[in-house]
Amino acid sequence: MSNYFYVSPQQLINDRAEFAQKGIARGRSILAAIYDVGVVMVAENPSASLNKISEIYDRIAFAGVGRYNEFDRLREAGIRWADGTGFTYSREDVDARALANYYAQHIGDMFTEGPKPLEVEILVAQLGGTLRPTKLYRVAYEGTLTDEPHFAVLGGDAETIRSRFEASEAEPDGLATTLRHAVAALAGPERTIPVEDLEVCILEDRGGRRTFARLSDAEVATLLTE
Amino acid sequence: MGLPLYGAQDDPGPSFLAYAQREGLVSLATGPEALSPHATTVVALRYAGGVVMVGDRQATANYVASRDVRKIEAADRFTALAISGSAARGMEFIRMAQLSFEHYEKMTDTALSLEGKANYLSPIIQRNNLGSPLVVIPLLAGWDPSHRRGRVFEYDGAGGCYERQDFTTIGSGSPFAESALRLGFRADLSLEEALDLGALALYEAGDNDPATGGPDFVRGIYPMMVVLDERGFTELANDDVAARFRAIQERRAATSGVAGGTLR
Repeated sequence: MSNYFYVSPQQLINDRAEFAQKGIARGRSILAAIYDVGVVMVAENPSASLNKISEIYDRIAFAGVGRYNEFDRLREAGIRWADGTGFTYSREDVDARALANYYAQHIGDMFTEGPKPLEVEILVAQLGGTLRPTKLYRVAYEGTLTDEPHFAVLGGDAETIRSRFEASEAEPDGLATTLRHAVAALAGPERTIPVEDLEVCILEDRGGRRTFARLSDAEVATLLTE
Repeated sequence: MGLPLYGAQDDPGPSFLAYAQREGLVSLATGPEALSPHATTVVALRYAGGVVMVGDRQATANYVASRDVRKIEAADRFTALAISGSAARGMEFIRMAQLSFEHYEKMTDTALSLEGKANYLSPIIQRNNLGSPLVVIPLLAGWDPSHRRGRVFEYDGAGGCYERQDFTTIGSGSPFAESALRLGFRADLSLEEALDLGALALYEAGDNDPATGGPDFVRGIYPMMVVLDERGFTELANDDVAARFRAIQERRAATSGVAGGTLR
């Protein structure tokens, strides 16, 4: 004979949220911002090979914080979904909003029904063009999907970083300025992040089909001193 | 299409083909060969700084189905793919290859090696050609950044992949193009010499093979000419190609269509 203990849905959600928040807060944060002609994503990441930011498609990028194995699987699913959709229909039919929706559904399902919630927060960034606007879609650990108009912060320390960045940059600026503000907001007033611990990627039109670029340490250093 | 999430045991990995087959994005329906027009002659030859490729523009299905087909496509920055045989299957093959190389790069954050790309194509060709009459024979050529040289790979009908040190040809005009290449090829060709020899080989194929479209001076449609070197894939401008074929045409007209004992 088994014993049933009643747990209120409110209690269950609070417990699960606390669990996910704790997991996410253990890692470093990511800031993504729209600048005058593109999107820049900045992560504090001491590893040069285990990336947090990745290319998904011609004009779409992915960033994830929290548990690496969990967000990397989501990243791979996103690339497969985008390449599969573009192969079946056309490259211009691959839309970041649709992908962000799938992510939100999956992460939301795992939050309420999974054995444990995913300890991740992710961002789907889309560089605008003739067909679509530039967008930053943020998916939180419980599946909430938000569309951030100017910049987005992922990770445990998001509120502090958000207010620091907001104070320094009121509206989109050039890449060098935005990157400087982003790095300063991630670091805070008491410390500086060495260039080798920064992972910086951009989405920007450079004449070709693909717009994603991973900036080298040297490129980041040059931009930060501009 | 939902979010394609897999467990570690059944993950298709960075291969787009494995994923596409699993999700039923590609099929191998068969039917009569006559349904699909045929693409013909392409040549690829190595020179000191890379590879030159020249391909005709005609698709044939008892009649001229198209005069401006592109049979050579950039597979990525340093690699080109060319096709002969069934146009329908060939175009799908090029799309699959292009996407697969990019997919691998995005999934793993590293580019496939040129040899890796060449080997990846073998089972695709095998699966297509042994399972259907709509046969495709591709050709892969590129600049190999890790070995710093141009490389050329040819395939047999069953998917066997062979690297060539000199040149290779595909399509129905092959015997004529190959003869010109065999007579004119040297291991130390300069880029200019390689471009002229490639153009001449294609001119020969267009002259002798009814399915190969030579230079079309009336419509201003000329064969595609591509260079693969350490800067990547470059397609020659139409005017440049036109001038090369016009020069051959004028030399031939001056000797009433006879090559005249020299390779020109």
